[in-house]
Amino acid sequence: MEMLQVIRADGGYDSKMEPNLRDEDLQKMYRQMLVIRRFNERMLLLQRQGRIAFFIESTGQEACQIGGAFPLTQSDWVYPGYRDPGMCLVKGVPLKALVDQLMANADDPNKGRQMGVHWGFREWNIVSMSSLVASRLAEAVGTAYAAKIKKDNIVCLTSFGDGATSQGEFHTAMNFAGVFKVPLVFFCENNQYAISMPVRRQTASENIAVKAEAYGFEGVLVDGNDVLAVYKATKAAVDKARSGGGSTLIEAVTYRLGGHSSSDDPTKYRTPEELELWKTRDPIKRFRAYLTTKGLLTQQEDRKLQDEVDLELVRVIKESEKIPPPAHLSMFTDVYAEMPWHIREEADELTREGP
Amino acid sequence: MAVLNIVQTVNQTLRDEMRRNGNMVILGEDVGRNGGVFRATEGLFDEFGGERVVDTPLAEDAIVGMAIGMALYGLQPVAEIQFMDFIYPAFNEIVSELAKLRYRSGGHYPAHVVIRTPYGGGVKGGHYHSQSTEAYFIHTPGLVVLAPSTPADTKGLLLAAMRSPDPVIFLEPKRIYRTLREEVPAEDYLVPIGKARVVQEGRDVTLVSWGAMVQTCTEAAALAAKEKLSVELIDMRSLLPFDIETVLQSVRKTGRLVIAHEATKIAGFGAEISAQVSERAIDSLRAPIVRVTGYDTPFPYGLENMYIPSPERILRAVRKASSY
Amino acid sequence: MVQYEFKLPDIGEGVAEGEILKWLVREGQVVKEDQSLVEVMTDKVNVQIPSPRDGTVTRILAKEGEVVKVGSTILVIDAEESVTSTTPGPQPSPAPDRVLATPATRRLAREMGVDIAQVKGTGPNGRVTEDDLRGGPSLAGQATEPAPPTPGDRIALRGVKKAMAEKMSKSIHTTAQVTLVDEVDMTELVLLREAFRGSADKRGVKLTFLPLIIKAVVPALKEFPYVNSTLDEGSGEVVLRKQYNLGIATDTPAGLMVPVLKDADKKDIFQLSAEIEKLAGAARAGELGLQEVQGSTFTITNLGSIGGLFATPIVNYPEVAILGTHRISKRPVVRDGRIEVRDMMYLSLSFDHRVMDGAYGARFLNRVIDIIQDPKKILSEIL
Repeated sequence: MEMLQVIRADGGYDSKMEPNLRDEDLQKMYRQMLVIRRFNERMLLLQRQGRIAFFIESTGQEACQIGGAFPLTQSDWVYPGYRDPGMCLVKGVPLKALVDQLMANADDPNKGRQMGVHWGFREWNIVSMSSLVASRLAEAVGTAYAAKIKKDNIVCLTSFGDGATSQGEFHTAMNFAGVFKVPLVFFCENNQYAISMPVRRQTASENIAVKAEAYGFEGVLVDGNDVLAVYKATKAAVDKARSGGGSTLIEAVTYRLGGHSSSDDPTKYRTPEELELWKTRDPIKRFRAYLTTKGLLTQQEDRKLQDEVDLELVRVIKESEKIPPPAHLSMFTDVYAEMPWHIREEADELTREGP
Repeated sequence: MAVLNIVQTVNQTLRDEMRRNGNMVILGEDVGRNGGVFRATEGLFDEFGGERVVDTPLAEDAIVGMAIGMALYGLQPVAEIQFMDFIYPAFNEIVSELAKLRYRSGGHYPAHVVIRTPYGGGVKGGHYHSQSTEAYFIHTPGLVVLAPSTPADTKGLLLAAMRSPDPVIFLEPKRIYRTLREEVPAEDYLVPIGKARVVQEGRDVTLVSWGAMVQTCTEAAALAAKEKLSVELIDMRSLLPFDIETVLQSVRKTGRLVIAHEATKIAGFGAEISAQVSERAIDSLRAPIVRVTGYDTPFPYGLENMYIPSPERILRAVRKASSY
Repeated sequence: MVQYEFKLPDIGEGVAEGEILKWLVREGQVVKEDQSLVEVMTDKVNVQIPSPRDGTVTRILAKEGEVVKVGSTILVIDAEESVTSTTPGPQPSPAPDRVLATPATRRLAREMGVDIAQVKGTGPNGRVTEDDLRGGPSLAGQATEPAPPTPGDRIALRGVKKAMAEKMSKSIHTTAQVTLVDEVDMTELVLLREAFRGSADKRGVKLTFLPLIIKAVVPALKEFPYVNSTLDEGSGEVVLRKQYNLGIATDTPAGLMVPVLKDADKKDIFQLSAEIEKLAGAARAGELGLQEVQGSTFTITNLGSIGGLFATPIVNYPEVAILGTHRISKRPVVRDGRIEVRDMMYLSLSFDHRVMDGAYGARFLNRVIDIIQDPKKILSEIL
């Protein structure tokens, strides 16, 4: 299977392959990639400082997140994974909302209930995720199906990793998607590892994209560190879905530059040589080179941009840290639409007697 | 008003609601063209088409997952799991996703899905067509678990379920699907979720049950009456949330409680009711609480009739409670 | 430790008594077996009596110079071992066994103020049953009628009687009770009752004066809420009760019981009658449930049928007031300057002066009397 690529690792590109994007879009994409990169670095630091309890970084996967979400409209639905804060950003979620979720403070629309990096923002049609990596796939099928029969011009995209493709739920969801021909993009970010499990031992298939054939629709292999290639492939899949063409499985080949999570030490199962190799394929470095070549970014502008991004991050974090945690009674609401007597009793007990 | 059995009631109620609510969708295995293996969805495919009455491939996890995605988008899905025994592939979707979506999203993503599933033994179905595992779901906060015992209650509870903002596991008592017939009002009515029903009043012993067992308990109560034992029979109807107040009021009157369920004894719902009554009405108890249940074994095939509590076994429990 | 009573032994040769000459030990002294305790003089000989035990002398029961009969106890020794002596001392009471009783029975015992450990259980394994508490006929059906009280008897206060004793005492000692007495002209009410007798019979209820009086009392309670209140001693707050649950003092074979008529304001006179009959019956049969004796906010007691002009009833603590009704008798009274014979009755209102004063009580009583004397007001209550 051929891997779709537009920009090579060294920044050189095939002009025939360039997608149809305006200059400001390209610059916007770059900025967003930068924001996510800095966000990752900063939040990991915060975790090490004990200012947030847990974090999962997506360093190295910025092209997947930005390129994968860029083709979507406001009303399209996304079922992201924990490594996709960038998709939330592209959809319009403010940086502060991402930080609020990590801090589980009272501003978090999820009421601080979930462990960090479990993104969910109703206002931007981003569905709240669980920690079970493949459960959302069938749900995405359901949403796509609903949009289809309602004849809404809506596409659904769900993002997941290479590890999730081993779960039964991946297979039953793909099968349903094929049978019902729903407007859904299965976006697999193959970052080569599921915690410590390398992808070559996760599946015996030659790659992940090829699995789509078993379910009756197209699988596309894409250089996941090339934001334009990712954009191109996703745009094509989104357009196909929107025009009634059904689902596509996109495998974006990328690399997880950091550990699985703030509790993981990847040096236990990866070689430094491998890491160095993938660093040369860094998606931001690559895109920066491209933009520079195209005269869309100077070193000065880049410097200025990075400073702006850093400043904004610091400001947002400062603001978020001021927000207190949610009230203790929020533990008892939203279990049901209306609080039943047996939960009310427990809430009253906690209020009366303390923890 | 028509005289209907339970499966006819399910069929009629689904049909009425499909007509009333254009956002309602039915999905499951064999529910469309085949009308459901128990005929519960008979005729619905013809009336509403394949987009709204969806024959799915064989994957319970994706059935429930898909239903969730539909609900989040704004449809009202009613998924069928062909036998409660087949629900386990979907257990993750139910427990991790369905039950927690409203909560984890801060109230923004209510997953109002109804999962209808025939449960219980007495149909010569052996281990995998006879289970009553309501306890797994009652133990999951965020779910509503309902178990009607009569055609009239089936309609009222199913309508309540389909209009509820919360996810519902709707347990249909398949062994009495066709044997129990009664007048079911034609007009729209809801049975309130979370409210038990006093089937008959009595003075001496409180007998609590739900689903198909209520029938058996009615027979047991009649046998008890012949021995001058006046049984107050309560049908829980709603297993989560449950109406403990009705049970307590009765126990304060009689002082004696028997709980009957065909589900296995250990950690069955009877244990929860027993704990609740001990906590809240200990001073009223004149005798230990007695449970009459399925044995703590897999559901047998050949010896099925010995497994499910009989009216006689329930009567013995009533005698035991009243003679302490 | 065994209290060993040392009795003057038969020294022999037909001696029937002896004189204590000299004590050789003191109280509190530790003695050994065979140690001489006392010198005794008989007709025939002087003897020294040795101790039969090791132990401590706890009591010396005869004085020097005293003549004691053979066999009478002269000394008590706290002996080391418990031995089978010819005259065993009083046995220490055995550690009380755990009482077997269901939670419902224990609760009933608490309510009745009965120490369940003192009740003999006639249930399986000696379990105390509710019948055992009530002192009514046991499940086994043995109906042993208690013997009529005879002078010289010692009758323990048990069960209902004990509860009553404690309740009455507590009421008097806690509250500042005053009794206000007034008379009421019952003539109109008597006629009203006659008028309603037919309807009552049709409903199968016996209509006494009590429901009619309740119908006069309830509106008065509504107008004078302090009469239907209770003093929360802990917070120092008077709690004006929202419900009108009337305690009806009832004489039963077991003693005085006060079943409660709940929500008297919500029932008509026939419902009140029926319920009063039911409660009285249950009370006399000893079948009142816990719900039926709890929660009263005001009590009415009637001694009229038995005797007395009026009384000073004791407030059913923690209520604030109690109304006593009495004998209705025809008496000459002055009406508009003329003497008429009317059916007259005294009403005694005892109340807790910590919560309300005489003026308030009098106004309350006036209102009750006002309604009773003008039964049209009762009728409007019924309708």
